[in-house]
Amino acid sequence: MDDLTREFLIESQEGLDRMERCLTDLEERPGDTNLLSDIFRSVHTIKGTTGFLGFKRLEKLAHAGENLLGALRDGKLSASQPVITGLLQLLDALRSILSIIESSGLEGETDEEVNDSELIALMHELQHPGDALHSATNVNRPALVIEANTTLTHTSAKASPPALQEPDTAPPPPSQSAAAAENDALKSEAAETSRPRQSAASESTLRVDITLLNRMMNLVGELVLTRNQILQATGADPAFTMLSRRLDMVTADLRESVMKARMQPVSSVFSKFPRIVRDLTQLLNRRVKLVLEGQETELDKSLLEAIKDPLTHAVRNSLDHGIEPPEKRIALGKDPEGTLKLRAYQESGHVIIEVSDDGGGISVEKVRDKAIERSLITAERAAHLSERELLQLIFLPGFSTAAAITNVSGRGVGMDVVRTNVEKIGGKVEIDSRPGKGTTLRLRIPLTLAIIPALIVRCLGQSFALPQGVLSELVHIPPERISSAIEWMEGAPLYRLRGQLLPLIFLDRMLSERKPVNGHAAIATHTPDAASLPQRDHFIAVLDADGRMYGLVVDGLADPEEIVVKPLSTVLKSIGIYSGATVLGNGDLALILDPGAIAIRAGVSLSTVQEDIEILEEEEDAMKSRFLLVEAAQRRAAVPLGEVLRIERIPVSRIEYIGYRPVLNFEGQLLPVEDSAGVLATAAANPDLPLTIVVCREGNRQVGIAVGNVLDVAAGNDLVEAGTHRAAAGVTLLNDHVTGIVDLGAIEPLPLAAQAASSWQSSANSYEETLA
Amino acid sequence: MTGKKSIALRKDGPSAKMMEICSVHVGSTLFGVPITHILEIVGNTHPHAVPLAPVFVGGLLHYRGEVLTTVSMRQLLGLPATEGRQDIMVLENKGSCFGLLVDSVGEVLTISAADREPNPSILDTRRQEIFAGACKLPQGLLIMLDPERLDPMRLGAAA
Repeated sequence: MDDLTREFLIESQEGLDRMERCLTDLEERPGDTNLLSDIFRSVHTIKGTTGFLGFKRLEKLAHAGENLLGALRDGKLSASQPVITGLLQLLDALRSILSIIESSGLEGETDEEVNDSELIALMHELQHPGDALHSATNVNRPALVIEANTTLTHTSAKASPPALQEPDTAPPPPSQSAAAAENDALKSEAAETSRPRQSAASESTLRVDITLLNRMMNLVGELVLTRNQILQATGADPAFTMLSRRLDMVTADLRESVMKARMQPVSSVFSKFPRIVRDLTQLLNRRVKLVLEGQETELDKSLLEAIKDPLTHAVRNSLDHGIEPPEKRIALGKDPEGTLKLRAYQESGHVIIEVSDDGGGISVEKVRDKAIERSLITAERAAHLSERELLQLIFLPGFSTAAAITNVSGRGVGMDVVRTNVEKIGGKVEIDSRPGKGTTLRLRIPLTLAIIPALIVRCLGQSFALPQGVLSELVHIPPERISSAIEWMEGAPLYRLRGQLLPLIFLDRMLSERKPVNGHAAIATHTPDAASLPQRDHFIAVLDADGRMYGLVVDGLADPEEIVVKPLSTVLKSIGIYSGATVLGNGDLALILDPGAIAIRAGVSLSTVQEDIEILEEEEDAMKSRFLLVEAAQRRAAVPLGEVLRIERIPVSRIEYIGYRPVLNFEGQLLPVEDSAGVLATAAANPDLPLTIVVCREGNRQVGIAVGNVLDVAAGNDLVEAGTHRAAAGVTLLNDHVTGIVDLGAIEPLPLAAQAASSWQSSANSYEETLA
Repeated sequence: MTGKKSIALRKDGPSAKMMEICSVHVGSTLFGVPITHILEIVGNTHPHAVPLAPVFVGGLLHYRGEVLTTVSMRQLLGLPATEGRQDIMVLENKGSCFGLLVDSVGEVLTISAADREPNPSILDTRRQEIFAGACKLPQGLLIMLDPERLDPMRLGAAA
């Protein structure tokens, strides 16, 4: 295919996308002349270029469409529903020819021209409704629409002030009244102010091949590493240090810009939905208003591609199962028109995309019955689950609540596909539903795919990267406990994690194993007892890889790092346990382990659902009533474990003061530090000793608590005040001692201006450092 | 890259029958790789080992933002691994790159096609696969290597 044709295809597809958007908008604002001329332009461009390139089929179709659109634009015809449906059909036909050209370079079979001519005849018919006397629908429908228009005009003419300025648009249809023109003008003006014109943006943009961007990303990564090495090599020379700092800054900026270049607004995915919703509502006989929010939220191009299908699935689900037919909605006392909302926004390093409807919601009982019927869960187990936990069952493979299989959804491949697709790109799915009120599906997507958070582990003297997404916790086994902590069952190592037996995989053994005879070889053929374990520290990374829970035993842990994933050659990929490689901050290479493949290789089976949920429950419990027991100035206090984010040990000198309030500049953010026990004053006397700060989450902010020691994690019991039968607030029974709970809410927020001033101060500091 | 050009300029006369190769040492044997396939020589390095990889894989090399698979000549020939550092030639074959791990890189030689001989039939099949003939130099025989035959993809498929 020559460049000209390729260019034409890209351009035409963009044009058709725009046309689709405009057509669905046109349905809401039938008189908007700007929309009409936009659509006209798209089709006209296609027609012009096809004639030049010699695609006769395309040209004929586009020509017929252009005629119809011309009539619409000139006001000889109004954009009634049959006209829009016809234009959408034309759009689909043009699209299918374009895709044929894309795959074969030719326009396709001539026998399809029969369809073409039908479509052309339809265009003609729509253009001259009077000629088609034999077709009853075509005569009646436009008349109905005009009627509807006049009533609408009537009401809004009263409401709108008569002295409205007429924008410079094409003359309104002569058949309509002056009030109608005003009304249209009002509408198009509103449309113009609310949505910036897209054509203006296209002049300042440039199409770039995605492979070029990937290459740039790679080179920037390389630059970062070279910079790191320069920084290490030139530590002593002050002049050089300054230069390398500049290099540092420029590199960081460059990296950010390249990452930004890969970002696209979610509107490029959202824009498909007005059409999908329109088609589905007609098919399913629903009345639905689609609301799109946060379209400007940006996401990496490859991630956008990946969420397209899950989102479509979720929207179909909402329309098919969620929003009720209008009659039923009226009977329930709801607005007959349902609302489907797609909302995108950023939240702490993730983009959240919500699909919410105000439909019937999900019946928890039905979900439970279905899960039991499909033996996804036992009845006894189900009785113990909370409503929220029951709802999550719909993500299990083979679950579908549709009473009947429709051609929209309900083929049994339902939400589990959504979940798998989203998890594949490192995202998460949550569902909330209230019966009778509606359902909200929330997709949590990482900002970029190219960079993932990973824990670097050490084994066989090498570094390996373990994706954080699958990591649930880390267990350290000191040398003296190694023989008792790891138990052996006929050669299979196991660890008791809170009463549950966790299969273990020794990474070093697996990696030294040359060729596994079968899936179980990695564990079974090796020294089947504890005696051979070296007496040194062992670390267990507890992993949950697609429902396979196991512990990966490694020699050591290094820092977590944000890593850039580099692909491996096919030869190395076919080993099966590496998903890629990465370059660490120090310039070393590390292989990225594939936890799922490791589990399969070692023969770890899928944990049953029961176990999964038990762990969930346990976590839930842990959140509620477990406490971190701390000691400050000889007193004990409890911090709810669910709120604890990190425990940091820092030198006292890092504590700064705003007025009298101690604060900690932590990863560029300011934490207010609570010090009611006077730990800071004691610590100031001994500046060499590290200070322990418990970083907690409180509402939307983070706070630090200065403590002397972290003692334990324990489950607390409610204390009932004698005679009242009510649990006392602020205290709990921990290890048989009455312990006060730290009230995180009482920690005063920092004044906003102070935050700004401090960040200015710290940037001034670093500036001085640069100069020094 | 610039080195390649200057060498090409230094040569005199039309050289349809001549070709330039870069000599490399592996063990006691002298090999030659056509310079048209060499992107860069990364000297004195230590590739990152890949546990469980096929034997011929010498490890990973970080090269201009990409992670390349390297092929170890020693492993291919069944020689014992050396302690210490080796040289890696970054070779290009049909658009993809890989590294060739050798003991040391020698010099650029100009050889004439007349000196080239096909593989002798007494070589074992493994060596028949990876060698691309020999070249009779005054100081001894030089074994020609063809990057296409050394591509890890091809070696992996053969293994």
